[in-house]
This record gives sequence, C-alpha cells and structure tokens, in this order.
Amino acid sequence: MNQNPEVSDFSTIVAEATPAGRGGIGIIRLSGPDVVVIGTALVGELPDKRVAVTRLFKNADGSVIDQGLVLYFQGPASFTGEDVLELHGHGGPVVMSILLRRCIELGARQARPGEFSERAFLNNKIDLVQAEAVADLIDSASEAAARSAVKSLQGAFSSKINELVEKLTQLRIFVEASIDFPEEEEDFLADQNVIVHLQDLIAEVASILSRAQQGVILQEGLHLVLVGAANSGKSSMMNFLSGQETSIVTEIAGTTRDVIRENIVLDGIPIRVLDTAGIRDSDDLIEREGVRRTIQSIETADAVLWLIDWSVETTQMEELKVNPSPDLIHRRLADLKQNLFEGINLEKPLIPVLNKVDLIESIELSTETGESDAVYFSTKTGQGLPQMMTILKEKLALNLHPDGLFSARRRHLSALELGSEHLQLALLRLTEESAGELMAEELKRAQDALGEITGQLRSDELLGRIFSSFCIGK
Amino acid sequence: MTRFDVIVVGGGHAGTEAALAAARMKSKTLLITQNIETLGQMSCNPAIGGIGKSHLVKEIDALGGVMAEAADAAGIHFRVLNGRKGPAVRATRAQTDRQLYKAFVRQKLEHQENLSLFQQSVADLIIENNRVVGVITQMQQQFRADAVILTVGTFLGGIIHVGLNQQSGGRAGDAASNKLSERLRELPFQVGRLKTGTPPRIDGRSVDFGSLTEQPGDTPRPVMSFWSKASAHPEQRPCYITHTNEATHDLIRAGLERSPLYSGVIDGVGPRYCPSIEDKVVRFADKTAHQIFVEPEGLNTTELYPNGISTSLPFDVQVNLIQSIKGFENAHISRPGYAIEYDFFEPKGLKSTLETKPIQGLYFAGQINGTTGYEEAAAQGLLAGINAALQSQSRAPWSPGREQAYLGVLVDDLITLGTLEPYRMFTSRAEYRLILRQDNADRRLTETGRKLGLVDDGKWIKYLKKQDRIEKLAIEMADTVVFPGNSAIDALLEEPLGREYHLSDLLKRPGVDIQSLLSASGKSDDDAIAAEQVEIDIKYRGYIARQQQDIDRTRAQYSLNIPVDMDYACIHGLSNEVKQKLQDVKPENLGQASRISGVTPAAVSLLLVHLKRRRDLQRPAATG
Repeated sequence: MNQNPEVSDFSTIVAEATPAGRGGIGIIRLSGPDVVVIGTALVGELPDKRVAVTRLFKNADGSVIDQGLVLYFQGPASFTGEDVLELHGHGGPVVMSILLRRCIELGARQARPGEFSERAFLNNKIDLVQAEAVADLIDSASEAAARSAVKSLQGAFSSKINELVEKLTQLRIFVEASIDFPEEEEDFLADQNVIVHLQDLIAEVASILSRAQQGVILQEGLHLVLVGAANSGKSSMMNFLSGQETSIVTEIAGTTRDVIRENIVLDGIPIRVLDTAGIRDSDDLIEREGVRRTIQSIETADAVLWLIDWSVETTQMEELKVNPSPDLIHRRLADLKQNLFEGINLEKPLIPVLNKVDLIESIELSTETGESDAVYFSTKTGQGLPQMMTILKEKLALNLHPDGLFSARRRHLSALELGSEHLQLALLRLTEESAGELMAEELKRAQDALGEITGQLRSDELLGRIFSSFCIGK
Repeated sequence: MTRFDVIVVGGGHAGTEAALAAARMKSKTLLITQNIETLGQMSCNPAIGGIGKSHLVKEIDALGGVMAEAADAAGIHFRVLNGRKGPAVRATRAQTDRQLYKAFVRQKLEHQENLSLFQQSVADLIIENNRVVGVITQMQQQFRADAVILTVGTFLGGIIHVGLNQQSGGRAGDAASNKLSERLRELPFQVGRLKTGTPPRIDGRSVDFGSLTEQPGDTPRPVMSFWSKASAHPEQRPCYITHTNEATHDLIRAGLERSPLYSGVIDGVGPRYCPSIEDKVVRFADKTAHQIFVEPEGLNTTELYPNGISTSLPFDVQVNLIQSIKGFENAHISRPGYAIEYDFFEPKGLKSTLETKPIQGLYFAGQINGTTGYEEAAAQGLLAGINAALQSQSRAPWSPGREQAYLGVLVDDLITLGTLEPYRMFTSRAEYRLILRQDNADRRLTETGRKLGLVDDGKWIKYLKKQDRIEKLAIEMADTVVFPGNSAIDALLEEPLGREYHLSDLLKRPGVDIQSLLSASGKSDDDAIAAEQVEIDIKYRGYIARQQQDIDRTRAQYSLNIPVDMDYACIHGLSNEVKQKLQDVKPENLGQASRISGVTPAAVSLLLVHLKRRRDLQRPAATG
C-alpha cells in the first residue's frame, strides 16, 4: 500500500488559513481525530466549544511561540464535520511557520490543497450542489501547489535534493540487494561502508536543511518581475520595495549580472522581485542576452510590473495630464504595450505602473487612474503602493480561501526534517542493533519522505536499479 | 455430459493448488491435464522457496495448500537464507527430489475428496453471454462448470529454442496447447509474449566433485510447512558450487551469432534477475566469473541441475561451454538447455480474485498471468481455486490485501501495474515487510483459511494450540519481574540490573534473546516456536505498531469500492492521462487506484469526491 502521506486518509490535518496579507492576524486551522490531543499539548486545556479564549501557544520545551485566540469546534458541528481547532495568532510568516511546524511535530499532517473542503463534502457538510465546486477547488489548488512546488524547486535546492535522493537510492540499492539476493558472491554491503555513507547522508541533509531554513536556496512566494524601458525607474522601484520589506531581505546566490533578485515580504506575502534588463534596449550582444533572460523571467513570473516613466508620457502627450480619461490612458498603454512587448508571449497578469508621478507638475492626479489595473506610482512618496498591492492580490486570487495558503517551501522543509529523522534512526538501528532489516525500513521511510519533494521511488523502480547495477540471479 | 462446480485446466503448481483448494472447499472439481504423469512436475530447477518465495509457500501452507508439505516430503537439502539478517527477511529453501515431490502431490490429488482427474488436452472454452460455462477437449468431450481456471503455464503457443532450431512445445517433451491459444486470442484479452529458459542438465557420474565446493544444508534443519517436522525429511544431500571462467565467456561470445536471443529470433521478454548465461556475459562483460549452484535432481538419479547457466545457445556451444567449467571437464549433458517463448495475458485484465474482467467465471493463474516461479504460480492457483469455489457456491469473493500477505502484494502488483517481464516476488516489493514474515504466515492467514473451509480439523487444532502457547508465553514474559542482584540475568546484560525489570522489557534490548532470558530466569525454554514468535513480537513492536498505523489510517477510504462501469471521462478535474490510466486498469477500489503509476493524490481526492457524489445522487434520501 502506498505510504504516501498525501493520499486521502482521516488523520489530523493542519494548514494556515489566513487570507494573505490581511492585517496582523494569522490563523492556523486543524481538523481531524487528534485535534484535542494536539490542541491540549499546544495551548493547555481546550476552551469550551465555540468560545474564543486567549491562550499561550507553546513549544515542546514550554517556551511561548505566540499568544492568541483559541476556538474549538467539536465535530460534527464544524466546517469539516470533524473536530476543528483554530489558532488565531499575531501572524507574521515566521511565527506562523513555527506554529505550523509545532502542530506537525505533534502529529498533524500538512493538509493537501483543498482538503478541508474535501472533508467537509465527504462528511456531508457541503451539499451536493457544491460538489463540483469542491472538485474545482481541489483541481485549482493542486495546480497552484504544483506551480508553487516547481518554483520552490528551482535552482540550487533542486540539484541538492536530487543529489541527496540519488545517494540515498544508491545506498538502498546495496541494502535491498543484500536482503533480496543474499547468495550472490558480491557481498553488496561489504565494500560499501554503509555507516560512512549514512553519516554522509545525514550531514548532507543537515546542511541542506540549515541552508533551506535560512531561505538561501529554497525559493517560494510570489514572483514579480519588473520590466520597462530604460530609465522607467526599475532600480528605484526595486530599492523602494526592498525598503518596504517587513521581515526578510535575502540576496540570492547565483544572481546573474543582469537579473537582480530580492526576496521581500509585503503585506505578509513573500515576494521575489526580479529586476530585469530593459527590453529592446540595445542591439548589443550582451544586452541581447539580457533581453533573453528578461523574457525568461517573464515566463516564470506570477505577475509582471510594467514600469512606465509617466512624467515623460505626460510631457509628450499633454492630454494625459490635462484630461486623463480612462479611455485615453487605456489607448496610450495599448500603444506602448504593443511597442514594448511585441513578439513576447504575455499570458501573465500585467500591471502597468505609471511611475514618477511626483515629477509631473501643476496637476493633482486622482489616486485612481480609472483604467483597470494601472496605478499611478511614486517611489519617492510611496503613492500607489496600497493600490498596487490590492490589484496584485485580486489578479493573483490571493484572497480569502477556505483552504488557506499552500506553502511548498514549508512542505519541503517538513519532508527534509522527516527524512533526516529516519536517516538518523537508520544509523542507530545499524550501529546499536546490527538490524539490517530495520535500517532498510528506516531508509525506505527516509526515501518516502524525500519523495514528497522529488516524487516517490516505486519498489519496481528500485528493483530495476538493482538489476542494472548487479548481475543477479541463477 | 458431466457437470462440475469448478474445472481446472493444467496440472502444474498453479493447477494442483487450485484444484485442491476448490475441492477442499467442497466444490465438485475436475482437473484436466494433458498428462497425468506430469502432475506436480517441477519443470525448472528442483527447489522450492527462497527469498520472497518461501513467504508465499508458507502462506499457501497456512491456507491449507500442498506446496510446503510436498517440499518437506521431498526436501533433500534445506537452508535458511538471511539467517543473520532478522526474522522479517529470513527465508527457507528446499532442494527437492523431483520424483518424491511429484509423487506427494499426485497422492494428495488422488486422495482429495470432491476432486476428479482427467487426461485430455483442452481445445476450447464454452462461453455463453460473456460467461464461461465449460470446456471442450481435443476429443470434443464437453464438461460443464460454474467456473473454469486456466493454469496452462508456458504451454500457450509455446516455442522451444535451442540455437536457431525451434519447435512447438509446452516444455521439453510436452506438446504446446496451440488450439486453446488460438481460441483465447479471439477473446478480448491483451496477449503478450514472454521468455524463460533452463540450463542443460548434467550426468553426475561425469562430474569431478572433488574440484567443486561442497555446500551442505543447514543445521538445525529448517522445515517448510507449519504442519511438518524436520524428522520426517528424507535423506539429505549436499549442493555444490562452481564458476564459469574467461574461457567459458569466450565460447559464449563466439556462439552469440547462433543465439536465438541475440540474432533476433526471440521476441519474448525474459526476466532481468534471472538472465541466461549469454545475457550475463553480454550485459556484465567485466565480470570474469559467474557462480553456478550445482543442485542434485533427486536421491535416485545421478542427474544434476547446474543453476545459473540457463541458455538457448546451440547444443555444440552448450557442450563446449559446460566442459570449460571447473569440475565439468568431462561432463555429459543429459538434456540440452533451452529457451521457451509463450503467450501470457496482460494481468491488468484481472480482478483481485484472478477472475478475468471480460469473461465471468473464467480465472487465470500462474505463468499465463506473466509471473515466473513455482511459488508465485501455486499462490495464484490457490487464490483462483478459492474464488472459483466461492463463486460456484454463491459466496462473497476473497482476496488478501497488501498488508495481509505476499499473495496480496503479488496479485495487486499484477492487476494494478501489469507486467513487462516475468514477475518474481522479492521482499522489497512488500511495503509491510516487517509484518509479512514467513514465520507468522499462519498467524496472518490460518483463521481466514479455516473460515473459507481450507484448513482441516487436525491443522486447525494444531494452530489453536500454538496460538495458546504463544499467548501464555507472552503473558509470562510480561508478568515475570527480575530484581537487581540476579546474577544469571546480569550475565546476559552489559550492565547489572539497576532496578527491577519485566522480562519483556529486558528482551527489547539489543543483543538480549528470549531463550537465554528464559533459562536464566529458571523457566522452560524448550518451546522454540512460541519463543520465536514472542521474541519477534517484542523486538519489532514499535515498527509493527507504526506499520499498523499506516494500514489503519488509509484502510477506510482505500477499501471504498469503485463501480465496474465507472465512466472516468466524466470525472471533473482529472487530466486525460489519469483518465486513460484509470480506464486501462479499472481499479476495484480507491486503494488500487492510488497505486496506479501517475495517479496523483489530487486525482485520488477527485475520484473520492466523485464517488461520494455519485452515491449521494443514487440515494438522495441518505444525504444529510
């Protein structure tokens, strides 16, 4: 039977249910049979059902993670039909992350996309008419999760994980071969120093984990790409957004010469901003390489912030200053867009940022452009930021979602942590008990855990690897 | 015309277990075979068991089957494999005397109530309204039955290759079943070709045993069946080991152009783990020697089975390559090695009972389903026999889950993943390896076997007594407390006792075994069988509990049945690829669906939602 913990079961699930970037409250929601046990371990005795009480959320060692409201719904009178617990904390991605990890440590499993709704449906809490909507939700949420996972797996993290999984597979080839083919003359374990290999693996997971926890190599969040003609203010926008960050700014290793990346958190949404070389800036070969990368960035981005120096536009077209009707702005933008993005496949949400409005004299522009999606912006005064965030969230459907945010990064971290735990147990079984079959079991569990990131290795695939590595069989 | 409840076609390992099981369940059963003299014949090597395989044998045994008892009655050399690696992966293997084995099986068949034997070749099936109702033999005799089990091994369209010579045959010396093969190809089954092979046999009188390495059987000698004793084994014989060398490999390379495998004559796919010697030499060119296990064919024959050099090279090459091997310099080949190609039917077309999906009442078991090995065949035969009898008696079908038996793993793998090469069992195929052990097959299955009507009174009482002994010993271990200062106990531990301990807690420690604990605390240690079970239960407790949690967690949803007529095309949100895969396998339940490669967890969720929706629509009153 598949041990993949992602497959439907009735274990206790947990997810962050907070609408992204709404105020200072973060909600963690748990549902399932162990809610009372997990909840009690986390906040002490649970309050009466449906009564909100303030509690401290505590770590295993008793230290306080956060303080907030606790709401307990006893099944079947709950959203999912099971016991449900909601923890309303003070939010912030870091605190939420710790709280979530604590719940997982206590036995909950991170919910799959759409799983709360799925359970609600299966427990007759959602009627038949809504079934299609549930299917839609699972479908779209899975797609979003998949996109998020692909993003998280880009670059350094992906190659590290693949290397790690390959090494683990190699070790398992020897271990399983020694179990299933004990009569072969090659003792598959003899020239393989299993202990050394295990220790290497453990060290490697620890190193990936620590780097991943620092966010150095594990990427996630929204990808925004800044594009625009030369002098449209991309760099100042980059600096402006970085200055706005509320928690983390990280330089990404491997930054290319012409695509500069920043990780910031805006309104509680982790965002990666890519500053690009301008499009159509030059015929220069090196510049053209920059353009190629820009186009690539657009392809992997969630949304494109298109910067336009509006002070230049209004100078060139007085009408835009005097009578900026939505229609006029729309037409002007359409012209510019065709000019700039010609030949580029632009299926991403595009937000025109009418930049440098602080330079436009003698006119009071209203805050709204009237043109959908376009915003007046000034990196000097900060004008336009709230509007831009609102449009972003609308465009990317980051609003209230019954199943909360799906975080690939967090999921990958828990997979790594679990894998690490099983590798350490494998070493223990071998060194303390010389129990090869138990070591093999732990290695399999480690592989299953890492399989959450890279895809599961089926037993027939492992056997195939054994047969191609050794000449086996009488 | 004679009427039966169940007809079994074929008298190999699958056929005999199928017929015996159905008859034990009181179904009036007919076994039709081309040749009564070859009932229970071991067509390949003279051994039963091995890693993954003895697990199956002991499961068959726990369900009242014949294979393990036959292996004990005929076993002339017994070994425990992985003896030092822990009980979950331990296995038993018996080299057997072919004649004794066959005789034991034949005697069981002939003395089985409700079972008739008949020698004829089956030429056709009688099918009415997509339901099989009987068979027609070569002599146009008709037999009617509620269920028909085909266990025709390598006989369907069998072609035997030696060098570039080929001839039709089901096994060396036996005719193929070509009429039946043609008829089956007209039915809606997906046909494929597989290949297997045997080595040349050697006359022991021409072998220089002095230059071979002798490999004696194990002492103490293990037993294959839960119901036998080692003292009942016949006289024991050693095996021998020798090796190929560079000269052998050169001869093989030189002969490759006349090899049916390498000249493109054979299309069938052979197993990767049991390659012919020419395959080994080509694929692992840097290996300078390959091991050969020289196995005795029996007590009263001088023939030997050189296991490890299966080949279909021309006979002259076979002679030269054999004589290039140490100890075989003057060896006389008594039977040439050969490869055989045969039809199999894509097992994805089967239900978990081994009934075919398109034809009701028709069951397939053994090599026809793409497996290899006596044990794999026998296990399927047993399952098909059980279900044919159940169907004939209008009782609910039975098939074990992956968490219950290797038999469950085998069948689920076959029907869910299909197979591209002859399928063989390995312990690494089982997710719940620590639970599915050879030592506890009876504890896993005998009760079910009894309910099904497979386990007779004698075995049942023996089983109950054993359970009782295990239980009592487990209680004794848990209740007995030892105190500091107990020097006999201290002698077993790294550090002396610092406080009082229950024996069961001490047993959890690495390096502490139950027999020593029992004797050190002045208790009887002479019930080795019960002691082994209690020890494994305690030592594996944490792991078994965890695997059990995994099983329980998913059981409720996994057992949710999917209707046969499910239209996957209309399930909202599934990708076309997943729809195609589900349509292809038509899984019986959600668990099976989840194991189809490429079916994602999200797809399983969508399927689950769809199933509930469908159910609610059909029973609108039941929603709430």
